Amino acid sequence: MFDPKLKEALAHVQKPGRYTGGEPGSVYKNPAKTDLRFAFCFPDTYEVGMSFLGMKILYELLNARPNWWCERAFMPWLDMKEQHERLGLPLYTLESKTPLAAFDVVGFTLQYELSYTNILAMLDLAGIPFYAKDRDEHWPLIVAGGPCVCNAEPLADFFDMMMLGEGEEQLPWVCQEVERAKKEGISKRELLRRIARLPGCYVPSFYDVSYLPDGRVAAICPNDEAAPARVTKAILTDMDSFAPPTNFVVPMVGAVHDRAQIEVLRGCVRGCRFCQAGFLYRPMRQRSARLLNDAARQLCANTGYEEVSLTSLSTSDHAGLETLLDEMDGWTQAEHVSISLPSLRIDNFSESLIEKTNRVRKSGLTFAPEAGTQRLRDVINKNITWEEIEKSCKIAFAAGYTSVKLYFMMGLPTETLEDIEGIANTAQRIVDLYYANPAKPKGKGVQVTISVACFVPKPHTPFQFVPQDTRESLQKKQQHLLHSVHSRKIKVNYHDSATSYLEAVFAKGDRRLAPALVEAYRRGCFFDGWDECLRYDVWCSVFADLGLDMAFYANRPLALDEVTPWSHLDYGVSQEFLVREYQKALAGATTPPCSRQCSGCGANHLLGGPCFDYGTDLVYKTE
Amino acid sequence: MTTVRIWFTKQNEAAYISLLDLQRVMGRSLKRSGLPVWYTLGFNPHIYMTFACPLPLGQESLVESVDVKTEQEAPDLAAWKTALARVMPAGIEIKKVDLPQKKAEEIGFAEYLVRYDTPAAAAALEGYNALASAPAEKKSKRGMRSIELKEHLPRIDYHIAEGGEGAAFSVRLPASETLNLNPALLTGFLQQRFGLPAQAAGILRTALYAKDGAPFL
Repeated sequence: MFDPKLKEALAHVQKPGRYTGGEPGSVYKNPAKTDLRFAFCFPDTYEVGMSFLGMKILYELLNARPNWWCERAFMPWLDMKEQHERLGLPLYTLESKTPLAAFDVVGFTLQYELSYTNILAMLDLAGIPFYAKDRDEHWPLIVAGGPCVCNAEPLADFFDMMMLGEGEEQLPWVCQEVERAKKEGISKRELLRRIARLPGCYVPSFYDVSYLPDGRVAAICPNDEAAPARVTKAILTDMDSFAPPTNFVVPMVGAVHDRAQIEVLRGCVRGCRFCQAGFLYRPMRQRSARLLNDAARQLCANTGYEEVSLTSLSTSDHAGLETLLDEMDGWTQAEHVSISLPSLRIDNFSESLIEKTNRVRKSGLTFAPEAGTQRLRDVINKNITWEEIEKSCKIAFAAGYTSVKLYFMMGLPTETLEDIEGIANTAQRIVDLYYANPAKPKGKGVQVTISVACFVPKPHTPFQFVPQDTRESLQKKQQHLLHSVHSRKIKVNYHDSATSYLEAVFAKGDRRLAPALVEAYRRGCFFDGWDECLRYDVWCSVFADLGLDMAFYANRPLALDEVTPWSHLDYGVSQEFLVREYQKALAGATTPPCSRQCSGCGANHLLGGPCFDYGTDLVYKTE
Repeated sequence: MTTVRIWFTKQNEAAYISLLDLQRVMGRSLKRSGLPVWYTLGFNPHIYMTFACPLPLGQESLVESVDVKTEQEAPDLAAWKTALARVMPAGIEIKKVDLPQKKAEEIGFAEYLVRYDTPAAAAALEGYNALASAPAEKKSKRGMRSIELKEHLPRIDYHIAEGGEGAAFSVRLPASETLNLNPALLTGFLQQRFGLPAQAAGILRTALYAKDGAPFL
């Protein structure tokens, strides 16, 4: 039975099923028989968090230990947050309904800069002090992982420890140290010293940051002998040594991605210069088709899902994809399971791929050319050509597709209005292609949707040096795009640039932004990534009141030799490589996929040798 | 083709699953069970399921049912029950698996246990018993409709919980396709007329009856 306060809260909210737990696959243990309790916190709604594969991987992994118990907590939506505050109900985990403050470790995953205020909200709802320095021994260890750790300096003062890289081995190592520390009764500082020696474990308080008079970082120096000068991310050298999870907690009230997911490969060979994930997860490593097939089948049987998604940054780059699809074909139809491939590249999209994945339902087709002209696609190293777009669309139209969705960005380095017109032209040429198809379905029109995001320069990419386009310029470009589209068959989606601007500020921010986060939260900012909740005016006044300048972070070009706030965080890719790629970008020169030719980014050191057997061309290519 | 009726409870966590969500949860549970349930034919095959008398969000029940079909001529019902019990989420317990003797449309009445955990309940219930008329507004697809609660519940015989902290009573209300009244109408009325918060009421469906008053289950 639920606690009366919780019952009362649930009676007042719109979707109580988000807050009750008990889903199939959720893990319950006897707290008296556990030595370590871990609260896995996702700083966004249940539906978003339950779509996240990383949580499922680590949940299964930690709970595999009989004496550890990993539970889940999410950011309550506005109505539930209000109930927590009204009733004095501390934020709890879904499984045991234990308040977060009672855990040994509270871990947040940092997926998105605009969820930072939600972290503060969750700590606040749990009654946990924000700043690490204000938490003595009796508070849980507050830790973070996930891609935004690559520059989580704006959050550095809040966390006891952050984890760079991949958690499959690293997180259990950390938990082991915590369990040992509990038994030995050592101090938190001593525990952090031990943890700082583990791969990819970053203890922010062990580093001092000094600044130049102009506001830039002067130096980042360790202040404890346990802290390395640079923290290098943790990595799984062999993806086949860790099978994908075969059990998921299956949400009962739905999720954004409510399906089985199998991670076929990690990293990406393409080297698109804007893509942070492409640099953070280097080198690319794949799982074998047999392992994936077995895991997918078991996962579907265990969860009851009728759709399995083969996920990765670029699924069609898996060398054995066709083999895998053939193997999966042996059971998916009989078991009423359909396969979806979310990350296809337009340049290796084939008829047989379409046929193998769409036996059940024909949905729309989505591609990401990212830029409207070949010149700009070369600048960003999105190595696709109009001919490839044309070929893929022809295949799709011949297969009966009538809608195509295209993703673009605006505000890319070197972009001109001509490149913006190129977006409209690309869409128009696809519309024309559809009508040129003699076999097009009678009486059916085509729908081409172009979604245009505002480019956000990200740390650890060759574009970390470039300033973000100003909001005024982005708005002008959005208008120009609308004026360049002349067909009703083309639908244009774009987004207010305020969100992207804040994202840029925090992506490239430093430790001086922590008070801004706290103050913005105090003034009512949270769920900033949700349009209906973003209070941009409040953010502007917070920055102004604290004497901070958003443009310093978002719109200032970085010098190529500048000490960045993230220069002590090492993801395996060298600074020299980023500079080289940036200069190639400005020259419009492309870099081949790293499975075809090594460009010397430095990440192969993480594996201790070459990333690929260059005797064979590993890039999957049709024809 | 054989129709199989699965009786289950819907309590605690499961009380907060809507009908739409319940369909998904049940579909996946059936799939996990590996039982040979029948899929609809057509473009997008899915497991055929019919739920009788769906319950509003937040209410609990001991007598929920779902009908599925199978091509097995004589399904081993005990084996079905074991297979289903293994895969259900928290709050859903399989009570019985049988071959339906009556159609779900023959359900006429449902019995509910209403429990208030506030000492204010007794006075409000006395107030209700003293009224000559208790008109409540029921929302339906065709708009608002006025229901005289006294026609169905002339008086409420409640008992005070131990310690005097609340009150509990059973009500039997129409639950047919032509008229389906939920105790939420009553708790809403008590809130509106006597200020007794409807949220303080726990509602548990305990039994179903056929139109002639015989037990349905």
